[in-house]
Parts: sequence; C-alpha cells; structure tokens
Amino acid sequence: MTLIDFVNLLLSALLLAGVYAVMSVGMTVIYGVMKIVNLAHAGFMMLGAYFALELFERFHVDPILAALLAFPVMFLLGGALYWVLVRRLPHSDEPTLPSLLLMFGLWLVLQNLGYLIWGNTDRSILTPRTLSVINLGPISISTVRLTVFVAAVACLLVLQGLLHYSWFGRSVRALIQNRYAALISGVYEGRTAGIAFGVGIGFAGLAGGLLGSLYSFDPDFGRPFLIRAFVIVVLGGLESISGVALGALVLALVETFSILFVPAGYQLAISFGLLAITLIVLPGGIASLLAKVRRLA
Amino acid sequence: MSAFSAILPARSIAKWIAKWRNTALLWALLAALAVAPLLIPSPNTIRLLFTTFLWVTTSIAWNLLGGFAGQVSFGFAVFYGVGAYTTALLMNAGLNPFIAFLASAFTAVLVSLFVGVPAFRLRGPYFAIATIGISEAVRVVMTNLTFTGGASGYRIVEHRPFSQREHYYTALVLASLAFVISLLIANAKFGMGLKAIRQDEDAAADLGVNPYTYKLAAHALAAALTGMAGGVFARYAAFIHPGGVFGFHTSVHILLMPVIGGIATVWGPVLGGFVFGIVEEEIVASFPEIHLLLYGILLIIIVLFEPGGILGGANKLLRRFRAKR
Repeated sequence: MTLIDFVNLLLSALLLAGVYAVMSVGMTVIYGVMKIVNLAHAGFMMLGAYFALELFERFHVDPILAALLAFPVMFLLGGALYWVLVRRLPHSDEPTLPSLLLMFGLWLVLQNLGYLIWGNTDRSILTPRTLSVINLGPISISTVRLTVFVAAVACLLVLQGLLHYSWFGRSVRALIQNRYAALISGVYEGRTAGIAFGVGIGFAGLAGGLLGSLYSFDPDFGRPFLIRAFVIVVLGGLESISGVALGALVLALVETFSILFVPAGYQLAISFGLLAITLIVLPGGIASLLAKVRRLA
Repeated sequence: MSAFSAILPARSIAKWIAKWRNTALLWALLAALAVAPLLIPSPNTIRLLFTTFLWVTTSIAWNLLGGFAGQVSFGFAVFYGVGAYTTALLMNAGLNPFIAFLASAFTAVLVSLFVGVPAFRLRGPYFAIATIGISEAVRVVMTNLTFTGGASGYRIVEHRPFSQREHYYTALVLASLAFVISLLIANAKFGMGLKAIRQDEDAAADLGVNPYTYKLAAHALAAALTGMAGGVFARYAAFIHPGGVFGFHTSVHILLMPVIGGIATVWGPVLGGFVFGIVEEEIVASFPEIHLLLYGILLIIIVLFEPGGILGGANKLLRRFRAKR
C-alpha cells in the first residue's frame, strides 16, 4: 500500500465517522436520559431517508437541506411518541426488557408502514453531486461525502453547544450523571425526557436523511446502521457525547482498513461481530480501557 | 368403592375436573392432531399444520430462555439455521434424516455454548443486544461460505419417496417433545431457578441458584429444540438459504410468538405459535407488511397494558366474568 492509498483510506474513514457519529448520538441522548435502548432507531432513520427523498423528488429541495428539515419533523414525532407510549414505561436506572420490546414493536410498525407506503423497491437520492469528485492532486474526495460530513459535524457542534449552554442541556447532563440528585435540584424529568426523546429521534431522522444521500435504501434500511450505532455507543461509553465521536471514528477506521485484510463479503460480519465483542470485552467503552491502561502504567 | 360417584359430593367432582382439565385438554388436542391427516386429506392444510408445529416448537424453545429465565434473545435464527444446514449437509452425505435431526440438535447446542459462554456475562438487555450482533454476523458469514452454496442456498436430495404424512408426524412429535420438556421444567427445581433468575438475578444467586449455569443450560436446551425444528424444516423444504433460515425475520418470528401468546407460561407459546402460524398463512400471501405491522402494534399493546399476552388477557377477562356472576 502506498502512502497515497493510505491517506485516501484515512480520509474516507474520517468522512464516514462524521455520519456515524450523527446516527449514534441520538441513541446516546435517549439512553443517557431514560436508560432506554432505542431499537426503533433504524425505523426513524428510514423515515428520515424517505422524508428527504420525498422533499427532493416532489419539491426539488436539496437533499442535504431536506435532511436538516427532517430534524424538526422527527423531533415532533418523537415528542408525540414519548407522550403517547414511552412515558408509560416504568422508571428504571438500567435498561429494561419491556422498554426493549416496546421499541422493537415500534420498529416493526415503522418498518412495515414504510413497506405499505413506499413498497419494497430500492430508492436512492441522485444529484449532480452524487458522482462528482474533488481532486486534490493524487487525493480524491467524493463531493457528496464531504458535504454530508460537513453537515453532520455542524449538527454535532450545535448539539454539543445546546447541551453545554442551555437549561435543557444542563438538565440532560444532570439526569445522565445522577438522576436523583438532578430531581432534587429541580430538574423537571418528564419534560426533559420528552425533549431528549424528541432530540434523539430528530437526530435519527437527520442521520437517515444524510445516509439516504450516500446509500440506496428500502423500508428495511437502517438495520446494519442500527447495529453500527450500538457498537459506537458502547465504544463511546454509553453516556458521553464526545465519546460517541471517538467511537464513530474507531468503528469507521476499523471498517475502512479491514478491507485490506478481510474479503469484502465478510466486512459486515466484522461490524456486527464487533457489537458482541465490545459489549463483552469492553463494556465500559474506550474510556474505561484508557483508564485501565493508565492505572497499569 | 362401587358407585363412588354417587357418594362423592358434586363439589369434589368439579375439583377433580379442574385438576385434570389441562391433562384432558392436552390429550384431546394431541389425539385430534394425530388423526387430523386421516380426516383432512387437503395437503395444504397438512402443510399449514406442519409449519405451525415447527413454529410452536421454536416458540416453546424461546420461552424456556426468554420466558422462564427472562433472557430475551434476538438470535434464535442462528440455531434454526445451524440445525437446518447440519441436517442438509448430513442428509446429502447419505445419513438417515432422523439421525441428522439429532446431529442438528447437537451442533445447535455447541453453537449455543459458543454464544452463551461469553454472552451470558452480560445482563438481560445487553445480552439481547449482543444477540442481534451475533445473529447478523453469522448470517453474513453464511452468505459468504462457499461449501454451503453461500447466498444462493443449498439443495437437499433425498432418495426416498416424499411422504407428507411422515413429515407431519415428525413435526408433531417434535412439538410434543418440546411441550413435555417445557411442562416438566415449569414444575421442576430447574424451572423455579430460571423464574427466580428472571425476577431478581442477585437474589437468586444468593439463594444458591447459579444464574450463569442455569442460563447456559436453558439456552442449550432451547437451542437443541430450535436446531431440530430447523432440521425438520430443511428436510421438508429441500432447499434452504441463509437469507431465510438465518434471516433476522426468523429470529423476530421466534421471539414474537411466545411474547404474544403469553410469556413464561406453558400454554402461552403454544397458543402464540398456533395464532402466528395460522394468521401468517391467511395474511402473508396477500399483505406481508400488514402481518408484521399487526404484530408490532400487538407487541406495543402487550408491553404497555397486558404483559401476560393473549393468555394473560384471556385469563383476566375470564376472572372478571366469573366475579360478576
């Protein structure tokens, strides 16, 4: 492998990491505040992708803009679903099986509604950007991947700002750190959880819209991405948002560079197998690994 | 002792009926199913019952781990697929199919240990998520393996005349076996231990139940039954492919039946299997989406309002009805 190949792979891993981070961050917010593992994440990503497609085909909205527009729509949908379904779940400090099954049922509903509305043909969003490439000497970057990356990073920065400088963000972080202390200090859990669920679903929709610009999709879209999001969230330590970015980068690097060692057909098996392996070997995520290393040193 | 029915008061007869009702119901059901192929000549009905028996078997198997022990798994397609492929490979090597089914059970148990030994270090929901990853990874590997034909599937050649009745009775025996195992476990120390683990793993461990070995044992038993069901299916279908037997939807179906029928009960998974098999048959041909859409809605309702499933809901209605009377 030449140096240029290496740089090309590194760049594509980095661009991939941006989308991966956006698709996992919603799951982290929901898990952190409510300790619910959102199995329906894939379903909402699928809705986001079709939302972007419909806006693009009917109203000729730029797909990236359409993905950004998916956020408020999915935010409202998430808030409504929280109000109707999720808040009825019993409170718990760790994920429960009823919550898992509820979200799974929701996924089944979304997925099959998708089949009813859009059928099972593969769809894709094609713009002039899709096939164009920016050439920087020997290094080439796909334009659509670059724009998606920029949009993803911008959204992550906005979320990070929101979490650090707003009342809502402080409530979210307080609930993640210590629920009881947060309640004593006057955090309104119901409203914060509702908004957090909306934000989580909104980010799922946004990520779906962005992924729709990169890959073709059908109503089953999102299952491989759901599993990847799990890996990233676990690698990132389940509750930290900057951890998610790190986890996304690690997964993107592993996936991109595994192509050098593993036949292409088996590549997905690596991402899927990583889920079980990280859960079993590294349940505390990368941060706990670093802490362990530091303690040993 | 002669004419004891005249001496015994009516109340104790009612008690006697209540005591043996379940057993009588079971024998009646078995007898009806055993003579069904003689009375109903339609091969389509027989096929429907055959697949329903397989669903019932997997549903009961899933319930051993997911119901009694409370360890929800999204990965039962792995055992179903491994069982199917074991039978397929061995039958093509010239082995008697019934020995091949036993071999399917054996390989499925091996796989269950391979999965369970590391994965049961995880608690409930994390175990559930890990099984999604394992099941999908196995499917991808099977899609790429060359000696099983990869994604294009694998064909089984059997040099014997096709007898639908033989398949039917094989499946019926398998489902009965699964039911008997589930019935025995529910009332045995092993089953009590599993139920204790579901309610509180730490408390169970304090009382001398080793959650790790209990879960492994339940997992292995469930895998053996599911593997055999996969083998029986493979022999009937004569063609299997990773997208089918290893597909995520197979895991989903196996999970939905016991949850909808009534989790952690003996009859719930049977009921769930029958309802699923028959409803699937009626709806899936024309509206495959509505089928799973219905089950998704049902799952949401069950989780939020009636964790006992159809059986629990029916019992509740019955009790309310009796109380009114």
